[in-house]
Amino acid sequence: MIFITHHNLLAWLGKLKEDRTLIAPQDIGKGHIRYRPVSDIEEITFDYTQPEMSAKEFLFPQTDRLMRIEKRGDEVTLHDYLLEKEQIIFGLRPCDAHGFLAFDALFLEQDPPDVYYARRREMTTLVGISCPQMWENCFCTSVGGAPDDPSHLDVLLTAVGDGYAVKAATSKGKALLASAETQEVTDLTLPEIPKNETVPILPAEDWPALFNDQYWARLGERCLSCKLCTYVCPTCRCFDLRDEEVLSGTGIVIHDRMRVWDACTAPNYRTIAGGHNSRATKGQRIRNRYYCKFHYYPKDFGPLGCVGCGRCIEACPVNIDIKEMLAQVADLHEKVEA
Amino acid sequence: MIEQIQAKAKELLENEQVSCVIGYETATDGGTRPAFIYDPDDVDRLVWNQQCHYNLVNYLHDKKKPPKRGADIPSVAVIVKPCDSRTINLLVGESQIKRENIHVIGLTCTGMLENGEIQTRCQHCTIRSPLVYDTLIGEPPTEEISDDFEDVAEIEAMAPEERLNFWLSEFDRCIRCYACRQACPGCYCTVCEFDRDDSLWIGMQNEMPEKYFFHTFRAMHLAGRCVECNACELACPMDIPLSLLNRKLTKEMEELFDHRGGMTTEPTPFVTLMKDGEISLI
Amino acid sequence: MNEHNHHSMRPYLGKLAGVKELGTDIRLFQIELMDAVGKEAFANYKPGQFGFVSAFGEGEAPFGITSIPAQDGLLEFAIHRHPHGKTTNGLHNLSVGDPIGVRGPLGNNFPMDDIKGKDIIVLGGGIGGAPLRPVIKTVMENRDDYGSMTILWAARNPGLLIFTDEYEEWRNTPQTELHLTVDNKPPDWDEGDEGLITTLLEKLNPSPENAITITCGPPIMIHFVSLTLKKLGFTLDQMLVTLEGRMHCGIGKCGRCNLGDIFVCTDGPVFYHSEVAELLESFL
Repeated sequence: MIFITHHNLLAWLGKLKEDRTLIAPQDIGKGHIRYRPVSDIEEITFDYTQPEMSAKEFLFPQTDRLMRIEKRGDEVTLHDYLLEKEQIIFGLRPCDAHGFLAFDALFLEQDPPDVYYARRREMTTLVGISCPQMWENCFCTSVGGAPDDPSHLDVLLTAVGDGYAVKAATSKGKALLASAETQEVTDLTLPEIPKNETVPILPAEDWPALFNDQYWARLGERCLSCKLCTYVCPTCRCFDLRDEEVLSGTGIVIHDRMRVWDACTAPNYRTIAGGHNSRATKGQRIRNRYYCKFHYYPKDFGPLGCVGCGRCIEACPVNIDIKEMLAQVADLHEKVEA
Repeated sequence: MIEQIQAKAKELLENEQVSCVIGYETATDGGTRPAFIYDPDDVDRLVWNQQCHYNLVNYLHDKKKPPKRGADIPSVAVIVKPCDSRTINLLVGESQIKRENIHVIGLTCTGMLENGEIQTRCQHCTIRSPLVYDTLIGEPPTEEISDDFEDVAEIEAMAPEERLNFWLSEFDRCIRCYACRQACPGCYCTVCEFDRDDSLWIGMQNEMPEKYFFHTFRAMHLAGRCVECNACELACPMDIPLSLLNRKLTKEMEELFDHRGGMTTEPTPFVTLMKDGEISLI
Repeated sequence: MNEHNHHSMRPYLGKLAGVKELGTDIRLFQIELMDAVGKEAFANYKPGQFGFVSAFGEGEAPFGITSIPAQDGLLEFAIHRHPHGKTTNGLHNLSVGDPIGVRGPLGNNFPMDDIKGKDIIVLGGGIGGAPLRPVIKTVMENRDDYGSMTILWAARNPGLLIFTDEYEEWRNTPQTELHLTVDNKPPDWDEGDEGLITTLLEKLNPSPENAITITCGPPIMIHFVSLTLKKLGFTLDQMLVTLEGRMHCGIGKCGRCNLGDIFVCTDGPVFYHSEVAELLESFL
């Protein structure tokens, strides 16, 4: 296998950082680990389970300035903000990379492609690190993923010995590795990663039969209608869009047209002009969120809208647990079928 | 206490005095979570322990309107700790809930845990027994506790610039998920001032000016109203010390107005009421 | 502006060529597109399609296109100013000559070819009448291709009835009737009935034979109109509706306007009620 020592890995990252933005897991305070741009290689932490937020913000920023609108009297000019500097997301867990599959399916493969996402995607290389184990809330293996899955990465590293086994999963990854000092080794074997119990995932076509069940109203009752589950999720992509002022000076006013993350769990998400809200209850909103992941997304775009990262379970202040929901939905389906 | 709680819940549901009992049940992570019991046979789901930190009175906002046109406002029972009972006073005083629709099952409390330790706010709690209840369960503690606001002393000792940097570095982790606002029973505006479609007060960006404004002004809107239930800080996934901010304003309100949220049904005097002579102070 | 930079989230630049008051807080915006790419995009839009209109510096919002292409190259939108709508207020604050943006044309359209030869019943509630005006104009311009046209136009009060200065032209069109109704009839208004559109509909009792209905208005109106039509013998596949879902992108990306597994912006906004009834999620 191809192998790189930890020391050489850091050296390689240092080199890459010279002309690219390097994004990697960091402790941003009080033990909170997030993927963040690195100014110094020392900032990178290797001691984490999974960063508390996914990496979607680097292809789909929480505050994404799309275009600059300049008004000079009657003249308006528009200028797209497109990512200019290449970036590497390092230390990516395979589930987070898997999340980009859902984004690609919608933002690239559904016409028309989103130019902002497309540019970021093209300019980004994904270097992942296998998970040494599956943690309490993880269920990636139930949704077509794995702790050491290279499928959606350009390079996958797996910790072994005093370094990492290196797998170039794409030609982009291979090209990136050209500047790394690696070696061929034959005497190391990768440890077996223990897997969690699988969670039943009801096939997409079986969800409609449960749509009007009162299960959803009951589940939604304790929901706070915040946006946490949506924001930490590697696949959720709903957004709001508005112009906000940047500055105004003599004879010129500048606004940025921006899109910002939003969540279908928010109370007024579907309130239309005139005041009607077709998802006025928490049960309707939470039902939409899960149906979007397990029925609408696979039906309309292909991939599931869930990668089994389990962040929503940890994040939810009131223990709305997607694994519990999936098991209950599978039971409910059996009862309905009987 | 749990047997008494379950028995009372069962009785209220069987007699149809209430349609729902809001309490606590075991969560999938071994902790607790809010529970909504409609069937008297389900009362054994209810639990009571030192992980029952949720302020269940928050859910009364979902039960304050008729479920459909022409129906009555539902009668519900809600399990409250002493801090939560202050919320009943707050919401009755602000005309949000009708006292007669609610059966308050009040529990005495020795404090809630966080990471194995008694929560800071519980260490300063002077009331240990609910201020408002229809049923009281538990022995009121006899221990005298006084609140000297020592938890606020550290930030008060900071010079203004240091204090600002402290707060900015905490808010840096904020993702504007609004879990704090949604968990807070005092935040019930149908359209939050900081979440308006027309960006009247703040823009929709998740950048420092907006986050800073949101948190400081939400705290201002809670001044004299906060019941110190800690729901905000516990909901926050980013460990932002929101209770500390609210505690600071609680202290200011006590000093300036001799008022503390939810101790009675009297609403906050801050930006709501002007008493005789106060107008001359402007 | 570099015309080669166009993509689906980028508005075409236009100029506000004309403004007309249509009612209380309702204005007609007449837009002249300024560049070739925009003009070409909007050369052949169809009744039922919509566009995102930008008040630069405030935002953009979706509005049904209320004109038809034959009309002197001006793109028209009827826009109601919402009390705290950033975009609608921004638009109402514009003056003739100001820059304005448009994205589109988006969505599907009323199947004007499929309904040729049929009797058309148009039901418009308030600002909902705006996307129906192109239907009326298409029928007027191709009168022999369609059967009778019965227009039911409703609003809460007379100040919210739109296109009042065109009613005479509509009425003077052969085989065309216009009926007005308002919820609250002021004593000095005698141009129509008092009551809901469903009451008017029952009174007129149109025959379902070879007929098609086209409804646009608030969700609750669409619902009750469909119930009344069913009572009068219409089937769901004779009822066309145009829906709203608080669209933000209009191109099927932002996720907001889904009704179950379809998007109102790309799979609609025009649907047969029979299709709507089959959807997993209700629009109500």
